[in-house]
Formats: sequence, C-alpha cells, structure tokens
Amino acid sequence: MFPGVDGFHWTFAHIIFLSVFFTVVLTILGTLAAAAVHTAGDLRRGRAVEICWKAEFAQLPEAERHCRHELAGRVAERVCPNAFDCRHCGEYAHYAALPAGGTGIPACVGQAQTLGLNYPDNRFYHRGHTWVAPQDDGTLMVGLDDLAARLVGNPDSLELPPEGAEIQSDGTAWRMKKNGHTVRVRAPIDGAVVETGGPEKGWYLRLRPHGAADLRHLLRGPEVSPWLAREIERLQLQLTPPKAGPALADGGVLVPGLMDAMPDAEWDTVLAGTFLEA
Amino acid sequence: MASAVLTDRRWIARGAERTSTAQFALWLVPWVALLALGIYAAGLCLYYGLNQTNMDNRFAFGLWIFLDLSVIALGAGAFFTGFLVYILGRTELKPILNAAVVLGFICYSGAVAVLMVDVGQPLRGWFTFWHPNTHSMLTEVTFCISCYLLVLTLEYIPVLLRNRQLGKRPSSAVFEYRLHHLVPVLAGVGAFLSFFHQGSLGGLYGVLRGRPFAFREGFSVWPSTFFLFVLSAIAVGPSFLMLVTAAVEKLTGRRQVPSGLLQRLGFLSGVLLAAYVAAKSIDTLIWLNVTSPSVGFAPWEYYAYPPFGSALLFIEILLFGLVPAALLLYPRTAGNRRWLLTGAGLACCGILLNRFVMTVQTLALPTLAFDEFLRYTPSWQEVATFGGLIAYGVIVFSLSYRYLPLFGQEKREATDVSGR
Repeated sequence: MFPGVDGFHWTFAHIIFLSVFFTVVLTILGTLAAAAVHTAGDLRRGRAVEICWKAEFAQLPEAERHCRHELAGRVAERVCPNAFDCRHCGEYAHYAALPAGGTGIPACVGQAQTLGLNYPDNRFYHRGHTWVAPQDDGTLMVGLDDLAARLVGNPDSLELPPEGAEIQSDGTAWRMKKNGHTVRVRAPIDGAVVETGGPEKGWYLRLRPHGAADLRHLLRGPEVSPWLAREIERLQLQLTPPKAGPALADGGVLVPGLMDAMPDAEWDTVLAGTFLEA
Repeated sequence: MASAVLTDRRWIARGAERTSTAQFALWLVPWVALLALGIYAAGLCLYYGLNQTNMDNRFAFGLWIFLDLSVIALGAGAFFTGFLVYILGRTELKPILNAAVVLGFICYSGAVAVLMVDVGQPLRGWFTFWHPNTHSMLTEVTFCISCYLLVLTLEYIPVLLRNRQLGKRPSSAVFEYRLHHLVPVLAGVGAFLSFFHQGSLGGLYGVLRGRPFAFREGFSVWPSTFFLFVLSAIAVGPSFLMLVTAAVEKLTGRRQVPSGLLQRLGFLSGVLLAAYVAAKSIDTLIWLNVTSPSVGFAPWEYYAYPPFGSALLFIEILLFGLVPAALLLYPRTAGNRRWLLTGAGLACCGILLNRFVMTVQTLALPTLAFDEFLRYTPSWQEVATFGGLIAYGVIVFSLSYRYLPLFGQEKREATDVSGR
C-alpha cells in the first residue's frame, strides 16, 4: 500500500495501480468534504430556507410548477425554472411585456369574487395560498387566501412566530393543526414580524419588509383566476373518491370548513398540493 | 398501540399511497425470518469456519461467488443509469434513477457482506488493501467494489434524506441539496470503478491458464472475458431494473414510471445484449477453434459431463441471449409489455447462467489426466446465507419504497391535472 509496507514494490504496476486507487479515494472523500463545507457555509449565511425551498420545488410535480406567464396566457407552456421567484428571473421582463389572454377563464379584474371565492384584486397572491396586502405605513399584511381558509376552516391550534422574528420568503410563516394534520404555511415575502393575528381577524401576520417591498414574484391581476381554476380542478380530482365515475361540475362553490365536511378524504395529499409541500 | 401504528404515516411522503402499517409488517415477516436464518448460518460460518460449507481447496468457488457475480452484474443498472443521466445527459431516465441507486446499493452491499463470510477470516480482510497483489485481478475487484460501495452509499444518502421526517432538519435538507449537486462527480467515478471491477471479475476467469474451459486470449493484460463481463453487465442491468419496476407496479397496482420509459430501457438493453451476443459468439468460436486446441483440449471434452452438456452453451447464447435481444428490439414485441418483460427476464436468466457456468463448470471439469469430474452441492448454511441476502434485498427495497421517493412518476400521476 505504501513504500516501506511489506508487499510494496517500486514497479510500474504498483505505482499506476495505487495512484489510480488513491486518486479515486481522494475524489470520493473530496466530494463528501465539499458537500459538508458547502452545507456549513450555507447554514452560516442563512441560506437554509432558500435551499430547502429550491430542493422541494424541484420535487413538486410538473403540473404544480407552471410559470405565471403561462397562467396569464402570455406563453403557451412554460415550467418555472426559478422556484417561483420572478425577482431573479432573467426572462421575467420579456414575458411580462406580452399581452395576457387566451386562457379561456375570465380574468375578473377589478372584482373581489372569482370562481365563487373572495380574491380582492388589491392583494398579491403566493402559490402557497397566502396573500400580501401592502399598508399605508409600509408594513405588509399577510393572510390565508380564501381557498385555503375554506379548506382548513377553524384550525385546532395555531403556531405563530413571535413578534420581531425574521420571516424568509418560502420558509415557514406559521403552522396550523387541523384534525391531526399539521399544515406548514409558506411565507409569501421576507420581513420582520410586527404583529400577529389569526383566523378571527382575517389576517395572520403583519410584517415590516427590509427596504422597499419587492412583490414581483406574487400573482396578481389576470394571473389569479387561471391559477385558481387549476387549483380548484386539482382539489376536485384529489377529493373525488378513487372508484367514483366521471361527473360534471355542478357549478357550486367551495363550502367553508371542507376538512370537517369531508373527514375521510386523503387530506395528506390535498394539503401537500395546496401548501406546496413535496 | 394504535397511535404507534398511526405514526408510520408521518414518515411516508405526502401524496404517496401506501399499504397500511399492519399489512406492510405482515409482508416483512417472512423476509425477516429468512434474513434471521441467513444471519444465523453466516454466523456459524464465521464462528466455526468454512468447514460449514461444502467447498474445499479444489472447489473453492461455490454458490456464494455465483451469487456475488450475479448480483454485481444485475446491480450494474445503478452505475449505467447514473452514467447515462449525469454524464450523457439522458434526463428521461431520471424518474428511475433513485430506484437504480437503491438496487445498486442493495446488490453491492449484499455482495460485500457475503464476501466477508466467504473469505473465511474477515478480520484479515484489510490485508488485501495493506498488502495488495497488483498482479491479481481479485485485488482490483476488491479495491473497486469497496470504493464503489462507498460511492453508492453517498448516492443513497440524498435519497434517504428526502424522507419526510429526515428532510425536515434544515441541515439535512441543505446537505442533501449540496450532495445531490455533486452526484455527477460520483456518477463518473462510479462508471470508472464499475467498468474495471465488472471487467476484472470476468478477467479473473480468463487468466486461469490451468482451467482451459475459462482461459481466453485477449488484449494486453485483459482477456476477452474482461470485456464480455462489462458488456453483459451493462446489457442486463437495465433489464433487471425494468423487472423490479414492473414487479413494484404489479404489487402496488400503480404506474411508477412514465409510459415509454420501460420500452426505452428495453431498447437500451436489447442493443447492448445484441452486441454482447455477437461478441460472445465470436469469442466462443475463437475459443473452440483456436484457444482450446492450442492447450490440448478438444471442444467436446468440456461438454461430456452431465449436466454440463453442449445444450447449455446454446441455451446461454441463443435462448437467453439472441431471443431476449430480439424481443427487446423488435418493435411489435417491445411494444407489448408482456413480451418486453419476458425479454428482460430471459436476459437476466442469461446473466445468471453465464455466471454459474463460469464459476461452477470451470471448477467442476477435470483438467489433468488424473483429475475427476468434481461434484459440489452447497450446504444448508450456504443456501441459508444465499436466502438471507435475497431477504435483505427485499427488506431494504421495501422500506426504501415505503419511506423514500424511489420513482419520479408516482406523485405526478396523482396530481397532474393539466393533462400535459
């Protein structure tokens, strides 16, 4: 194995064989060490939330990763390559300049009701079913959107971050428990928690952003209705019993407290799809 | 007790449908029993020595070496799939990559475990590293298999860390992410190591001048069996992956990989198998007409001892070589799932027969005038250890399937509502 060890000879075969072996071993160990060093660096720089989200995003089914510009009908088909963070998308400006339309779903611009749900157009929406409403004092109100609120109803327990806590976009904003299921709600935006609310107040967090809030990555205007239509379709499919035959939609609206109304549904699957959990 | 049963669900990925904990436990019971028997038998061999086996100084390779060679060949799907995805950029194979890694890990860890029993004195296992005989093919095999098992372990870790609970810790998730990004390096190293150890396993028979049945001429220091073993392993690896995937789909009643992926693997396997059959046929003709006569053996002498008749040669090359290659390549049969899997199954049988013939027939045939045809029947300890390895594989794969994201298509099937 080494010069001086019984069996080692200064021959061509020994030198070549052992050199290749040690190169391979060092490459393997070097790879492991590089992963460990990068991990330590990422944790030290507070990049854990961003990386965790990117990793989870990559595992989401393709149907849940469509670009906002596809939703708005600006492009026929496009899967988001940026983990829904348009702030760092090099092609955002190009697509945003294209005219919206062609989705076949009424955009409902200027209306609070869309597809029977309350989605005021003065709010910005995150794909994890939260909304952001900028306030006059520069803070941002964050709440659960109507679809998610009707799904969960009144949570059994709520775990809100303490005042002063730093929230990172796509990290955990708060957790709720409902009928034995834990729901992790993703934060739509970065900021420090100024005040906490709850379902009875209609909002959950008031955040103070660091500098001017950049809301480019959140859905708004003509993107909301098509996104919501797909979400409702997903929900209908996931809540349909496996052996049920094909049925036409009856045009009804989502009832509040769906988890209580349908306790036997596959809620684990539904909640994963709704709150972007891989 | 009821809550303990329910907690199992917390470890299963959201959106993944799995059988109940009780049913899963019931499925594991016979395999755990077989594994326990295997561990007991292996323990006897380690405690009392290799006198627990029916091998001896003349028949030194038996059931275990046949098993090692077979699982290492069948596990080639891991390095080959990784090579295709990460080095050649064939991303369409990604949905099956995790399953390939887990299968490879099972095959190689199982093979190393059985080798530890087979060497008789595992406590002296480090001798092969510290005092390597660089002129021995087995040294290369030992080095490469050990390193490749390390590679497979590192490739398995990111899959393991994607478990719903293990991935919750930010440090685990970040490490998984970082390691996953370095996997192409490991895939390259794995391909390099696999090429050499698959080849050296064949080369080790090809250099046996005292065993004319196995001895072959070749290129430089490598006999032709070196290249034949590499080619046969990469031909059959995808077939085995197909069979395992199809078995999982049958048992679970759900599609696990995108439609067309099995056909793609089948085509890959078919092309390589056809190339292998051609190479093997040429090699056999050269061996029968040139190599063997040059060392004083007429070809029919090898096939005069039942059950090793000449039919075995034709079965290996035609029934388990040419026929599956045709089934996997001919569009009409390749498009039919039943024929496709039949082709994959025959290809896997071919590799088992080839490794059996190279291990057992080589040693059984007499080579000197005073030699007799040797007979060997494995002892129950050898068979039980063999069974234990099979059980180990089933248990690890079952646990991995239940708690880890092995197949990329599974969740997509449940949530793809866009119809695209």
